[in-house]
Amino acid sequence: MTTDIILQARGLKKYYGKGETEVRALDGVDLDIERGTFTAIIGSSGSGKSTLLNMLGGLDTPTAGSIRVGNTELADLKGDEATIFRRKQIGFVFQNYNLVPVLSVWENIIFPISLDSRKPDSAFILEAVRLLGLEQKLHSLPSSLSGGQQQRVAIARAIASKPSIILADEPTGNLDSRTSDDVIGLLKMTSKTFSQTIVMITHNPEIAAMADRVVQIEDGKIVRS
Amino acid sequence: MTNVTSRFRPVPALSGRLFRQKRGRNLIAVLAIFLTAMMFTALCTLTGSMAENLTQMAFRQTGSDAEASIRGLTEEEADLIASHPDVEAVGKSIVLGILGNSDLRGRQVELRWADKTYASHAFSFPTTGRMPETADEIALDTLTLDRLGIPHTLGAEVEIQWQKDPADLALTVSRLTLCGYWEGNLSSYSSMAWVGREYADEMTGGVLSQDESETLGLLMAQVILPESRDIEGEMDRILSDLGLALPYSVNLAYSPEMGAMAAQESLPMAVGMVLVFIAGCLIIYNIFQISVASDIRLYGQLKTVGMTGKQLRRLIYGEALILCAAGIPLGLLAGWGLGALLVPVLLGMAEGEMSVSVSPLIFIGAALLSAATVFASCLRPARLAGKVSPIEAMRTADAAVPGARARRRPLRQDGSLLSMAARNLGRNKKRTATVVGSLTLALVLLGVFYAQNAAFDIEKYLSDLTIADFTLSDPSNTDYAGGYDPEGDALTEGLAAQAGSLPYLEAVGRQYTAETEWQMDENTREKVAAFYDAGRLAEWESYDAAGAEACRAAIQTGEAAAIVHGLSGIPLDTITGGEYLLEGAFDPEAFAGGGYILAVGPAVDPEGEYPVLPVPDVGSEVTLNGETFTVMAVVYPLNPVMELPREAGSDGKFPITFILPEVEFRVLWPEYTMRQLFVNVGDEGLEEAESRFAGYADETGAALTSRRTMAEQYEAETRSSAVMGSAVSAVIALVGVLNFVNSMATSILTRKREFAVMQSIGMTGRQLRRMLACEGLLYAGLTLAASCLITIPAVGIGVRAMVSGGFTTFRFTLLPLAACTPVLLILAVAVPWLCLRNVEKRSVVERLRTE
Repeated sequence: MTTDIILQARGLKKYYGKGETEVRALDGVDLDIERGTFTAIIGSSGSGKSTLLNMLGGLDTPTAGSIRVGNTELADLKGDEATIFRRKQIGFVFQNYNLVPVLSVWENIIFPISLDSRKPDSAFILEAVRLLGLEQKLHSLPSSLSGGQQQRVAIARAIASKPSIILADEPTGNLDSRTSDDVIGLLKMTSKTFSQTIVMITHNPEIAAMADRVVQIEDGKIVRS
Repeated sequence: MTNVTSRFRPVPALSGRLFRQKRGRNLIAVLAIFLTAMMFTALCTLTGSMAENLTQMAFRQTGSDAEASIRGLTEEEADLIASHPDVEAVGKSIVLGILGNSDLRGRQVELRWADKTYASHAFSFPTTGRMPETADEIALDTLTLDRLGIPHTLGAEVEIQWQKDPADLALTVSRLTLCGYWEGNLSSYSSMAWVGREYADEMTGGVLSQDESETLGLLMAQVILPESRDIEGEMDRILSDLGLALPYSVNLAYSPEMGAMAAQESLPMAVGMVLVFIAGCLIIYNIFQISVASDIRLYGQLKTVGMTGKQLRRLIYGEALILCAAGIPLGLLAGWGLGALLVPVLLGMAEGEMSVSVSPLIFIGAALLSAATVFASCLRPARLAGKVSPIEAMRTADAAVPGARARRRPLRQDGSLLSMAARNLGRNKKRTATVVGSLTLALVLLGVFYAQNAAFDIEKYLSDLTIADFTLSDPSNTDYAGGYDPEGDALTEGLAAQAGSLPYLEAVGRQYTAETEWQMDENTREKVAAFYDAGRLAEWESYDAAGAEACRAAIQTGEAAAIVHGLSGIPLDTITGGEYLLEGAFDPEAFAGGGYILAVGPAVDPEGEYPVLPVPDVGSEVTLNGETFTVMAVVYPLNPVMELPREAGSDGKFPITFILPEVEFRVLWPEYTMRQLFVNVGDEGLEEAESRFAGYADETGAALTSRRTMAEQYEAETRSSAVMGSAVSAVIALVGVLNFVNSMATSILTRKREFAVMQSIGMTGRQLRRMLACEGLLYAGLTLAASCLITIPAVGIGVRAMVSGGFTTFRFTLLPLAACTPVLLILAVAVPWLCLRNVEKRSVVERLRTE
């Protein structure tokens, strides 16, 4: 395997509060992720998994340390540059879905692409929609969907723009085991087709077992990788 | 199924859909924008119309809209000027004289011939009929026709009387036929009476006056230039081109002073616009601020899925644009209507006399100003939305202040709503202080403004102008140019008897005035010399050189004049009242008994101490017209009675003023008539007295002053500044209240999730509402307490010192504070209630889960 590092974190720290009440969500994390791999992040709740994922995606800024995505140092991106970089390079699947309530399922899926004034690859997206079992729901509003359906919409949105990296925060948490397998299968398939890199937080040992690599975090530090 | 579109414009789509979700906010925002646009349009209409009307008025006053005029030239010269290529037109007119018909007394009507150009540029071209052509025709304005009692019909006979020679009293009488008339205008100083050229030539004998001071046959020319810029330079050039050296005068209406005056008149409008801008911004800003605060999570969410700050700002501006499109056009229409209604009020004129500007500039300007207001208001909310950090937005709660939270609190048993509310206020001390501070500032300013305005005492102001409900005076009473005629016939005994029989009559009073020579005694002369020292004389000289000179002469020779007023009733009672008595004591019975006289001192500061006054000593004797009187007291010169013009034909000697009882005055000067008649009536009789006196004044030419009319006039004159003052106060109050509403609303909307948590663990909606109402009431209470603490000394000490002197009477008042208290208390309860109602539209679980 070539050592083509697409995601690199160095000395990553995130502290909240000061003095007595200081919380160390991340406390010196170094991590390299190779292009095209599937990494699972596990850890107990409050261990810093979500914080790490948000940092890697440029949603949150670290107290100290650096993150490099491909050839780009995230700290160098100012304001809107970071947002534009993120929506082009990274597909996010949030734990709480983050669907825009006033937009239909289809509009939600193509939203980040449209924000870039790009034309979506409709054939590709419709294929993903079919795999995710959402074809009957394209014109519905998110509020009329179940939690699992909303989760699938979020996944469709994340892969719609064929980003080089997909960061997913428990994407199968609300799905039954069969759909979970399908979703993971879809993610693996697209990642192979488009040589995408997947970083996924999960509690499910079966899914973690499907990953190329498992990283475990406890108390803001990597304990296994 | 798969009929999906790939063309999706996310920002406008979101803008429109989010917009439709916020009906309540939109309604308020459209209303606010509507009001803003309406006020801007009204103010622009007012400014535009004022400028137009002021120019028109200036033209009327100067009598012409021609750029320049030349008097006393020859017809050839006039024609020569007209032939210059840079002159648009020249109007010619020959002056004959002033109409002397007795019905025209008080209105100057100039008898002239004029060509059409002159007549039309003098706003006196017949609108019905035509200009005179034959020797027996005349054209007049409606004002003159009405005064002469001639119907507005062409062909009516008009008899005119006029003096050919001012020195010769003989009147020329002509009977002419009305061939044209036009609407007269009261703002011009004189009316024109046009006659035919034939008539004019007959009267002048065909000779034009070469001497400017001789009116008969004076040729006047109006020079109309294509442009009104640099009139002087242009005229000089034209005249020198033609080789003429004629003195000309530039129309004052084109002078820079007029422009400055117009600017000054529109200053309140400019101030008004700034106020509307501020007020509009604040209201719209608040609406958007609250809206953004309540949607901040959504914005954060949009950012996490890739929306840039710029796109988020565009989202907000898009909503503002939709709101503008709805509110501004309506506001423009309503504003123009309002402006049209207000123009006559502000200019203090009747409606027909002015135009209301409809220039498209007004609407464009007002629309741009309104849009600018809206977008300025959105700047901060939009920036706030654009800057939202995706992660922060996902967990926004009331900002935790580090340290403040960490402090340990003693465990308390009472989880009462009030103590919870108090602790909530303490959570963000800076915000609490800002809210309380800004509202307090507003209330204090309002209180101070109000107290200062309330201190103005209209009674004090009026007493300086008039001493009775009604004052009828001889037409020459205030004729400073010609002097007072002591034998006028306007005020008769019949009138006095009629006044005496008025219903609800309370008091009457009379004033007679005579002027006679008087040789000052040595003591008085010395006192005059001592009072008018070099300093006072120099000051006097600065504004009235002749008066000061007369005083010097009197000090030298002792030769002076005595102005003697015969007073009875109201003026005598007023002037001998304690506050006007400078020296001595007044004994009404002894005074009425005869042999006594009052001396009138100078208009000194009644509070000041003066070692010497330029009047005879109390107790000394004064001889007037052979009668000797003893000076009983020295009084202060009461403005409406004493500060009046001297007798016609007075030789201007330094005067000392005296007061005699009316009875004794009339013995000394039996042929003199009443100068002023003062009448007080009860409130019930005011209406009737007013109409009777007005009728009498119309008939005889007497001047009528009514205290009520003066008060109304004062009110009308100061209306625009009063409106401005109230507007400033209202804006200050509005700013404070909006701040209050905004802070409360924001603090509730940002705690949505916290409330959901509290409700999920068993707090009822009712308890939540009560807790928030407690917070609001605590805010209001703190504010009111702070305001009272500051306003009381500010008004009691500050305003009291500020308003001392002048026409003011200090009254301690906290009325604005009292008036605002219920408003604040209602808002303190209503705002949380409304916000919470909005928040509770979504279930507790929904709020807990998605936010």
